[in-house]
Amino acid sequence: MFKIENLKKESPGKLPILERREFLKMGFVVTGVFAGGSILSLVSNAEKVFASAGEFAEKYPYKPHYSMVIRQNLCIDCERCLGACRTTNNVPDYGYRTAILEKHAPEAIGQKTEFIPVLCMQCNDPPCVRACPTRASYKDKNNGIIRMDEKKCIGCKACMVACPYNARYFNNEKHAIDKCDFCFEARLSKGEKLTACANVCPTGARTFGDLSDPASEVYRMVHQLQKRVWVIRAEAGTKPNVFYMKS
Amino acid sequence: MKKYFAFLFTAVFFQASAAHLTLAAPEETEHGGDIIYTEPLKAVLFSHASHVQESGLSCDSCHDGIFAMEALSVQKNKDFTMASLYQGKYCGACHDGSMAFASNTQCARCHIGVKGFERSQKKGK
Repeated sequence: MFKIENLKKESPGKLPILERREFLKMGFVVTGVFAGGSILSLVSNAEKVFASAGEFAEKYPYKPHYSMVIRQNLCIDCERCLGACRTTNNVPDYGYRTAILEKHAPEAIGQKTEFIPVLCMQCNDPPCVRACPTRASYKDKNNGIIRMDEKKCIGCKACMVACPYNARYFNNEKHAIDKCDFCFEARLSKGEKLTACANVCPTGARTFGDLSDPASEVYRMVHQLQKRVWVIRAEAGTKPNVFYMKS
Repeated sequence: MKKYFAFLFTAVFFQASAAHLTLAAPEETEHGGDIIYTEPLKAVLFSHASHVQESGLSCDSCHDGIFAMEALSVQKNKDFTMASLYQGKYCGACHDGSMAFASNTQCARCHIGVKGFERSQKKGK
C-alpha cells in the first residue's frame, strides 16, 4: 500500500552525493557554462565579434558595423545632442533616445563632476530583442542596429524591463516603444554619415563610425592599448557597440 | 540622506549667522558672486568666491583688463570660444597650464552644463 510515511524524504540532506553531483552538472549544462556560456545564445554569429573592451576583433558580422565611441571627459552637458536628437527623430518632451548622466565626486581634487552621455548600446547580444514577444524589436542584419518595427509593437514594455541601459521609452503618439536607432531612419538611410548627436557635438565627445573599417576613427579608438576602453555594464554580457574612454 | 539634512541645516544656520556678520561688518570684501555664462553654450560657471577668496586674486587682476566690470558682457563677443582661450584670451590668460589648470583640461570643472545651470536657477529662486 502506498503510504506517505514510507517514502524516502527528498530534502537536500538525504540526496546521495553522486545524485546531487549529477544534478548540479545538469544545471551547468543548461546554463551553458561547459560550452563557454554560448548554448543559450540566440545570436550565434555575433559571438565571434569583438564587443568588450580588452578583446580584439576577429570578424565583424555587419557591414558597416556601426559603433560609437564616447570620450567621457569631453562631455560638458551642453545638451546640444539632446536637442538635435529631439528634432531629428521627433522625440517628445516626456521621452528620450539619449541622455546625459551626471556623476558627482565632491571629494575629488579639481574637477568634481563628470558627465556621461548614454544611448542605446546597440548590443550584439541584445536582451530587448530576446524579450520581445512579437519581434517588433530586432537587430538589423546588415548594420547591427537594434531597430523597432512599430507596427508589430504591442506596447507590453518587456523590452524596457529587459534593457540594462534604460534606453527605451513608450511613445504615446506612435503607441509603440521608441529608442535610438543611430539615426538610421532619419539620417543614415538617407546617405548621412553621422548621427545627429555626433554631428552636433561641439567637443567631439561622441564619435560615430564603422567599427569594421580600419580607416574609421572609431576603429582606431577602440583597437589600441594606450588608453583604456570600456563598455557600460559589461557584466550584463550584452556586448555593446557603444564604447567609452577618456581622451 | 541624514547627512544631507545635517548639511542643509548647518548651511542655513551658517547663512543666517553670516547675514548678522555682514550687518556688523559691512567692509568685508565684496565680489561679483557666481557668474554663469550661457553663450555660446550652456553653461559655464565663474565663481568669484573661489577666485577671490580661495585663490586670493584682487579685482584688478582681471578687471578691466581681461574682463569688463559688467557681468556677462564678454559672452556677446564672437570670439568668446575655447579656441580664444587656448590663445591666451579671456580665461585662458591664466588657465594656461602654468598659472592655473590649462583650459583644455578638466572640462567639467567650469562647464556645469544644462543640469548645473538649471540647478543654479532653482537655487536663485
